[in-house]
Amino acid sequence: MRASSPRGLALVPLLALCAIAAVLVALPLTIDNPYALHVMILLFLTVVQGESWNVLGGYTGQYSVGHAAYFGLGAYVTLILLQSRQVPPWWGVWAAILLAVVVAIVIGSITFRLRGPYFVLASIAVAEIFRLVALNWGSMTSGAEGILVSDIPPLQVAGRTVTDFTSKVPFYYAGFALAVTTIVVNWGVKNSKLGYYFQAIREDQDAAHSLGIALPVYKNIALGISAFFTAWSGAFYGLYVGFIDPGTVLSVEVSVQFVLICIIGGIGTIAGPVLGALLLVPLSEALRANLLSDLLFKLGVVDEGTPTGIFLKDNLAHAHALIYGILVVLVILFMPDGVLGFARKLLARRRGQAPAAAPSAAKDSA
Amino acid sequence: MEVFLQSLLSGVLVGGNYALVGIGLTLIFGVMRVINFAHGDLLMVGMYLTFYAFSLLGIDPFLSIALTMPVMFVFGAFLQRVFINRVLDALPQNQILLTIGLGLIMSNSVMLFFTSDYKILSTSYSSGSVRLAGLSVSEPLFVSFVITAAITAALYWFLIKTNTGQAIRATAQDREAAQLMGVNVRRMGVLAFGLGAALAGAAGALISPTYYIFPQVGGAFTLKAFVVVVLGGMGSVVGATLGGVIIGTVESLAASYVSSGLKELFVYVLFLLVLLLKPSGLLGKSRL
Repeated sequence: MRASSPRGLALVPLLALCAIAAVLVALPLTIDNPYALHVMILLFLTVVQGESWNVLGGYTGQYSVGHAAYFGLGAYVTLILLQSRQVPPWWGVWAAILLAVVVAIVIGSITFRLRGPYFVLASIAVAEIFRLVALNWGSMTSGAEGILVSDIPPLQVAGRTVTDFTSKVPFYYAGFALAVTTIVVNWGVKNSKLGYYFQAIREDQDAAHSLGIALPVYKNIALGISAFFTAWSGAFYGLYVGFIDPGTVLSVEVSVQFVLICIIGGIGTIAGPVLGALLLVPLSEALRANLLSDLLFKLGVVDEGTPTGIFLKDNLAHAHALIYGILVVLVILFMPDGVLGFARKLLARRRGQAPAAAPSAAKDSA
Repeated sequence: MEVFLQSLLSGVLVGGNYALVGIGLTLIFGVMRVINFAHGDLLMVGMYLTFYAFSLLGIDPFLSIALTMPVMFVFGAFLQRVFINRVLDALPQNQILLTIGLGLIMSNSVMLFFTSDYKILSTSYSSGSVRLAGLSVSEPLFVSFVITAAITAALYWFLIKTNTGQAIRATAQDREAAQLMGVNVRRMGVLAFGLGAALAGAAGALISPTYYIFPQVGGAFTLKAFVVVVLGGMGSVVGATLGGVIIGTVESLAASYVSSGLKELFVYVLFLLVLLLKPSGLLGKSRL
């Protein structure tokens, strides 16, 4: 009874969440190191990616490895509208999201007839079709050259300029708001009737069907919600980084990244993608900034002057995809419920066979 | 008409290679019901083996398959024993993610050690051509097709005539029944993965004279191998052979009549159509 009832949050975790949110809101006021803000923005973006995939992959059990399609669509539509039609992005993003949701439902109506590995393969093929179209439709997308954002117009409310997007701070708050919205929607979905339908489909779609759940309708609703936030995160990414091309927003690697965040954290949980982002983003940033090789040198594991040391220093910065691969393999082999599920299992074991803990842990990780 | 015949012929020749990649994938799927997303990366490893056998030891790429195939067999068997074996009873999604992870490890390790530069393996006959019934054919493509056909024939013989081959097919048809008949299904899994890897390695060796070699080359082949396998019917070796030739032809015709940038688009659209209209493929049993 103490920790949480299934519907509603208990007071202590709620207060803790509010405290974390307050700290995050206040952070840019106290820290003006752009790199720290950059890492935080990436963290928000990754949380949004993970949570939006989670709605479809985690709750509904439809493993899409083609989310790059919606991510890329969000990024491309917003940036094309901005660059060639001068549509301010806070309007353009809605057009992008609307289009992505419509496209998602069309694709869903076609591919949700497929199950298991066939659905996975179809989702990859769809994303590849999008990539090839973006690559070859040069007049619209400028093909392999990509789109460079030259200038985001200043955001004005009632004639007063709110921000001109010259610093990272507006992106920080936009990313934070997006992450919070996604998490709240995820929580709402998970604990609503809709979420129970989704989870019933995940556990056994034939049983769910025989209980009167219209499979195509609910799978499409899950995909629609997922595509909504995925496209939003794509638009956010495009505007923040200021450059997109088919390789960075539409490739299979992008789709895999969506799945990875959830797999590593823990699929089908709210905290899982957050945890996944908290592990992946600092890791890849540490690799990129050569912190890891510096650490190895400092600890005396490898000497900086030796050929191995030079090799590590030169190459570890580009090794984040390799580390991702190793992480996935380790997680699948040793913690199939993600880091979160693994931690819960450890906790349950430590508590011994406490009567309340064991069944709830088993239920959550299922 | 000549353009048509020309593209048809080169499509069939390229398709032979796709068939080789597809057969490996379908064998693995047939025996273990695991979809190997690292299949293209195995091909990439085969390409690098061939490239270094050529540039360091001076071994001709077509002769080097005698080296590549056994090495890749051992590598594949190792992957099966150490990784795939542990997830045979896991959710299909987890199996897929595991092989995606293995693929990432392979392509990125190669990138670390050999950089992401494009490598070109040029032999004396790389740009040569042979005349065949009035049509001109690239020489390396023709030789690779002949070798592909030989390997495929040998594989058919192995699967149909030998005891081990029959045991592999039995495992693919019905795992439990095969086990009851005394087939060591675990060993068949190792064999199938080893064979699949060896075939992917051979395909990599055979295309290395006509293709750019770079660490990320595998992704496109993985996807194409799926198309081939789904088109032919998951688990069907004959289907994969047929599927490979069809995909090669579609690609080649699309490249000559529409645009070479869009040839893969046609392949994926065809793939989706097959998935939707005849998910069991041309020669497969329905497994949906």
